[in-house]
Amino acid sequence: MRKLLMGNEAFAIAALEAGVNVVAGYPGTPSSEVVETIAKRVAQGSARNVYVEWSINEKAALELVASASYSGARTLFTCKQMGLNVASDALMSLNYVGVKGGCVLFVADDPGPISSQTEQDTRRFASFAKVPVLDPATPEQGYAMMQAAFELSELHGTPVIIRPTTRVCHSSAFFQVPDVTSGRPLPEEGFVKDPKWVIFPKRSYQGHEEINQRLRKMAAAPLDFNPVVSAGEGYAQAAVVAGGVSYGYAAEALDRIAELAAVAKVRMPAYKLMQIGTPYPFPADAVEEALGDVDAVLAYEELDHTLEDELLRLNGARHMGWEVRGKLTGDALTRGENSVDDAMVRIARFLDQFGGKGKLAKLVAAAGASAPAAGTAAAGTAAADAAAGNAAVGVPTSTSATAPQEFSQVLDQLPTRPPVLCAGCPHRGSFYSIKQALAQIGAEGIYCGDIGCYTLGNAAPLHTTDTCLCMGAGITMAQGFAVSQPGRKAVAFVGDSTFFASGLTGCANAAYNGHDITVCVLDNSTTAMTGGQPHPGTGVRLMGEPRPALNIPTVLEALGFTCIEQANPHNLEESVAAAARAIQFPGPSAVVFKAPCVNLIPKANPVVLDTQSCTGCKKCITSIGCPGLGFNPLAKGPKSKDRGQVVIDPKQCDGCGLCTQVCPFGSLTVATAAGTATPSPSNQKEASRA
Amino acid sequence: MRNILLTGVGGQGTVLAAKILAAAYEHKGRHVRTAETLGMAQRGGSVVSFVRMADPGKTVSSPVIPKLGADLLISFEPAEGVRMLPYLKPGGTFVTATTAIQPVTAALARDPYTGQKAQQLLRRAAPGALMVDDAELLALVGNPKALNIVLLTVAQATGQLDITIEGFKQAIADCVKPKLVEMNLQAVDTVRDYLAKRPGLL
Repeated sequence: MRKLLMGNEAFAIAALEAGVNVVAGYPGTPSSEVVETIAKRVAQGSARNVYVEWSINEKAALELVASASYSGARTLFTCKQMGLNVASDALMSLNYVGVKGGCVLFVADDPGPISSQTEQDTRRFASFAKVPVLDPATPEQGYAMMQAAFELSELHGTPVIIRPTTRVCHSSAFFQVPDVTSGRPLPEEGFVKDPKWVIFPKRSYQGHEEINQRLRKMAAAPLDFNPVVSAGEGYAQAAVVAGGVSYGYAAEALDRIAELAAVAKVRMPAYKLMQIGTPYPFPADAVEEALGDVDAVLAYEELDHTLEDELLRLNGARHMGWEVRGKLTGDALTRGENSVDDAMVRIARFLDQFGGKGKLAKLVAAAGASAPAAGTAAAGTAAADAAAGNAAVGVPTSTSATAPQEFSQVLDQLPTRPPVLCAGCPHRGSFYSIKQALAQIGAEGIYCGDIGCYTLGNAAPLHTTDTCLCMGAGITMAQGFAVSQPGRKAVAFVGDSTFFASGLTGCANAAYNGHDITVCVLDNSTTAMTGGQPHPGTGVRLMGEPRPALNIPTVLEALGFTCIEQANPHNLEESVAAAARAIQFPGPSAVVFKAPCVNLIPKANPVVLDTQSCTGCKKCITSIGCPGLGFNPLAKGPKSKDRGQVVIDPKQCDGCGLCTQVCPFGSLTVATAAGTATPSPSNQKEASRA
Repeated sequence: MRNILLTGVGGQGTVLAAKILAAAYEHKGRHVRTAETLGMAQRGGSVVSFVRMADPGKTVSSPVIPKLGADLLISFEPAEGVRMLPYLKPGGTFVTATTAIQPVTAALARDPYTGQKAQQLLRRAAPGALMVDDAELLALVGNPKALNIVLLTVAQATGQLDITIEGFKQAIADCVKPKLVEMNLQAVDTVRDYLAKRPGLL
């Protein structure tokens, strides 16, 4: 059957077709859909003889996968780029020990970054770890690479990394999808005990030579993922060397430049375009053979300048005589995403210098393409612009028939639309009650945030994220503030999934060293930001099997916390009281705020506004900033006069009732099931949602 | 190549709309790529979906539509549509819902972004836009979640999608849950009746 598959779904099905037996990962955008797709097919019965799990973090996942591979199983590990940092301890050693069953690491990079903390480049990580890496340009090529990666891994006994980027992971194309797949039967001998699996210094010295030899072999006979295209008229002076989705951008840009040249009757110079799909070990012989006769090469890639470095190295070592252009020479963006627009401008400029007559750049500019200045601006893609809250000013269209100046004035007036905590999100009440408790006590808080939806607590009006570094860091960073800023109260916010992934160590450290911090566990019973995956606290595994839930207060107690408060964040009075007790406790304390993510439960009726009593004071909006609460400056009421009034967006409001507890005039009320309003500051959601 | 850009606010249903278009183009036997904004932006942020169909016998190289590249811009929220206008081709078609969604940042502002202001901005930036009274149409259709079907039906009627009505309906049937097919196809007919009674609109 032909189906539209997102890149990540295609990677998953390719691994299943390759007979993968064991799959483990930790969720992270843009990688999460691989494990989810495999789990879905296992649940449907269309993927047989496969074990798949969400592990508690990336390190746990990779170590699990390693021993399964020692047993001869084909294994797949998945994470996002920073997840590999967490698993790096395991990866560095695993490469020295080697593997038996094919062991593929799916590590998704995120140029932009669109949903990440860093723009690190896993191609660079691979060369540091001395592990081969494949870099797909499209989901279709990724499908083929996934299958080839298992073969490569077994041929050389090495882990193999596939690192797509967001635009490959989250773009879709049609695929022929197999009805049923089955894991490859495990070898009869299974795990064979041998000193080689035990990493001692002597084993590492031996393993290092095995690594060096296999890297030489792979560089000399690279997989067939380095295609070369030649086009244009005459002898090619110039070559573009591209990696990942940038290969697609470059190919489209070259086609469009050729079209523009044809229309303007300008000669399109000959050029070569080469994709490097096997960036490490670098296929030096193949590149020398394909591009030995050109005068200049432009490295077109995202994140680091790894291809450019390799081309420079080749230039020096083999006297290629190339002019090497790229990020290091100011001829490509040094951060953010590339795009077809950017590629058109840069490649036209490059061809004008090497083979062209200096007319292509003008043609491209006249056609309206624009590139951000190298090293200064973020990428010019729609999503990056939108995420930054400002569209790049382009040429308005004939549809608009609006002058450019007028259009940029309109753009300035558009509201920015950063992501926000959903209407009814329980985190809003948790953040607000901590602020209220600190205000009551008269203490100043330093808010140490962490990775998840709750990082959005940084936004106005909550402003409850002063630091955010990496998974689990909030708890330990609060301890640094406790010892360096003793006059202020350090509060850490951590989600339930992050708590289990990497919060436990920090809690033990706080208890052991007696740090005066308050850890707020925002327990919404899911891994919300990445799409709602289960975790050890939910009592369910990936495939829906029940397991005894790890109880967070019990875990905190076992880790040495003696002050552990619990509260429902939709109930403000209860939450503020619990927060105040914890904050005033000398030494490590915790508040577990527990209420389910809005995506797990049906919506209650929207709250009701009494337009007679609303004064337009905006206290609800400026206190909790919920997207369900809008403001209409033209609404009039007896108390609000010309100030305007709050409006409830019934499509967004989910009736959590937090705003009803904030309004000083009782103008907001929770709707009852019958649709009538009850003026109640207490929490109705708890009763209706238990 | 035909390029369709869909934009709106996270949670409005642009992803399903892109899938329906992709299915219709696949039925025509063309090579298709789509791309989505997933992750953090889905929490009420600006989102964009790209749908690209190759010319017969060709393939689509990259999933992202360049600036001035979209034949059709379909916007689920007026400000988001205006934001993406630089991606519309000269002479391209802009179909937009008129109901504004006020972000928290705007509710906090002195001069908040409201429906009225959205329409003003829309008229200034794109007087030629095809403005769809989505509130009225959703009331007629009787399903507040059908915004994607409503806008796609209007877009189909402009002729700029390069999809026949039969192909469009088939694609809906292929993409939505079986129990929702009938309801969505009825929504298509309701919108088409509405358009037939207003010949000047398109």
